[in-house]
Amino acid sequence: MEERMMHAMATTTCSKDQGDFTVSTSRFGELSVNPEKVLTMTSAFLGFPDSKRFMIKPHGEESPFLWLQSLDDPKLAFVAIQAPLLIPQYKAEISTLTRQELQTSPEEPLEILLILTIPKENPEGMTANLLGPVAINTEKRLAKQVLQDPTRYDACWPVFTMDHEE
Amino acid sequence: MLILTRKPGEAIAIGDGIKIRVLEIKGGQVKIGVEAPSEVMVHREEIYLRIVEENTRAAAEAPADLSSLASVFGGDKARIKPPPTGNK
Repeated sequence: MEERMMHAMATTTCSKDQGDFTVSTSRFGELSVNPEKVLTMTSAFLGFPDSKRFMIKPHGEESPFLWLQSLDDPKLAFVAIQAPLLIPQYKAEISTLTRQELQTSPEEPLEILLILTIPKENPEGMTANLLGPVAINTEKRLAKQVLQDPTRYDACWPVFTMDHEE
Repeated sequence: MLILTRKPGEAIAIGDGIKIRVLEIKGGQVKIGVEAPSEVMVHREEIYLRIVEENTRAAAEAPADLSSLASVFGGDKARIKPPPTGNK
């Protein structure tokens, strides 16, 4: 992990004495990143093997949305939401092995994010990926997309139900 | 593609850390045991592909900004409620 950080410092511009570095992103332009806030994926998102470092960028103080912005690929960002805000009863199963990978003990709570797919033309058609939530060890800044039981959870669960009863 | 023939109980080693063993063959189904280091993800292919597909879609569709979403939280038809203010 040390090495990866060194690499990041070398390829990005250092600024200030705090060790913040800037990363250019396609959505947010130049972002100043505190190295202590960098999330490292212990396994990359499936389909995106080259993005191991992310940062969480809240969308706004009043917004439930978060951005998971890749620090390795300027164009890659996911919209996510904290699972309990969307589905209070949602319970991601995290195996002992995964907990070891995330360097956390069985008692410690993990932060669980759900990735949202928001169709550009139809934001109301937004779906949440309950099959592949992101588990985060907030303290150690380690994260992993953890696959769930496909018989229980859907990869595109509609966030909004259109209620037509009047 | 490398093709190997194995009997129940026999295994294939991939590198130093991965073993794939045929446990049982019954009724057109093969039960397979996989030993792999924890950092190697092992999934049924269709689930793996489902996640790749959904991740790719989520990344491709992610809007340039979310201001358009303000409106979708306006109606009372939503299953989702914005969090109470002050919630961090």
